[in-house]
Amino acid sequence: MAGGGGGLTLERSKRGKQSKRKKKHRIGFRLDMTPLVDITFLLLTFFMFTTTMAAPQIMEMSVPPEQKTVDVDASKLITFLVRADGNIFWNIGTDDPEPVKLEAVKGIAERENLKEGKRNKMITVLKVSEESKYYNLILVLDQLNLAELKIGTEISKDKDEKGNPAKRERRFTIAPFTEDDLNKIKDL
Amino acid sequence: MPKVKKKRVGFVIDMTPLVDITFLLLTFFMFTAKFKSQAESEQKFTIQRPYASADTSKMPDKDLALIKIAIDSASGDTSYHYELINEQLRQNVWNSIQSLTPEMRSKHQLIVNLDILGQLVKYTVLYSKNKIKFAIDADRRLRYKWIADATDVMRRNRATVFNYVTQKRQ
Repeated sequence: MAGGGGGLTLERSKRGKQSKRKKKHRIGFRLDMTPLVDITFLLLTFFMFTTTMAAPQIMEMSVPPEQKTVDVDASKLITFLVRADGNIFWNIGTDDPEPVKLEAVKGIAERENLKEGKRNKMITVLKVSEESKYYNLILVLDQLNLAELKIGTEISKDKDEKGNPAKRERRFTIAPFTEDDLNKIKDL
Repeated sequence: MPKVKKKRVGFVIDMTPLVDITFLLLTFFMFTAKFKSQAESEQKFTIQRPYASADTSKMPDKDLALIKIAIDSASGDTSYHYELINEQLRQNVWNSIQSLTPEMRSKHQLIVNLDILGQLVKYTVLYSKNKIKFAIDADRRLRYKWIADATDVMRRNRATVFNYVTQKRQ
């Protein structure tokens, strides 16, 4: 890289003296770019090492408001429970909870949300034990978000009253994990 | 007789393409570089965010109220931190809390307990007129109790929609 400069400066100064009378010929004129390249590389490496490419992302969630109670049809509630040891259970409405693997959560969410008569009407409820790790909640939520891809596409094929494609309403909510919930899944 | 070796003294490489590419990369990295906010440079912890699949919803860089639940790297204690990105709103909210000292009011981020967190959320909702987004930036190693307590406080102060901050899985 350093081969660029060398004798060039000398040559140029010679030419400069001659040019007092005669007009200088600027053909084949060279500029020593080595210091420029040095600094540019230095800055480049600095910025390359300091940039973090992974920007933080966000996941939306909601909690029911405190004042007003919302009445919903139990059969339209799909509940996912996360026990203290990280195991996941699910049920519809007031059914008994069943254990489920994390990878299967996506499939269940897709199936239940697209059932005939319940399309786009289900509310997903998450109940997480306070002793459980926060990461478990995010893992379940991530699976549900992945399911949204398919649900959204399927639902956009439906037509609303005006004939426009139906819009997916994503309704996730988080509810307290009660003693009652724990008793139901304790022995599973 | 072997060929006479050519002398390589004073040979010149054309560096123009090299410089072109280097400048291109440099400008790219310079424009994408994002520097730490003042609040981040004040804090003594790093949050290990939970991993999630790649998503298009990026964390907004304005009109955001951040509740950080972090584990101190030195002492191992967990604490709540509250940060408001919006400058004007921050001054309004900070000044509404009676128990803050002038020194605390100059900070961008406050270490809070659940009681003060509740007041902060209440005034943030009051002043921002629902324009602001709430986000919970919590460490993935924490017990859910920490997050449940924070969301409970938010719920009582009418901030019922919020976001969890995650990081893209590598």
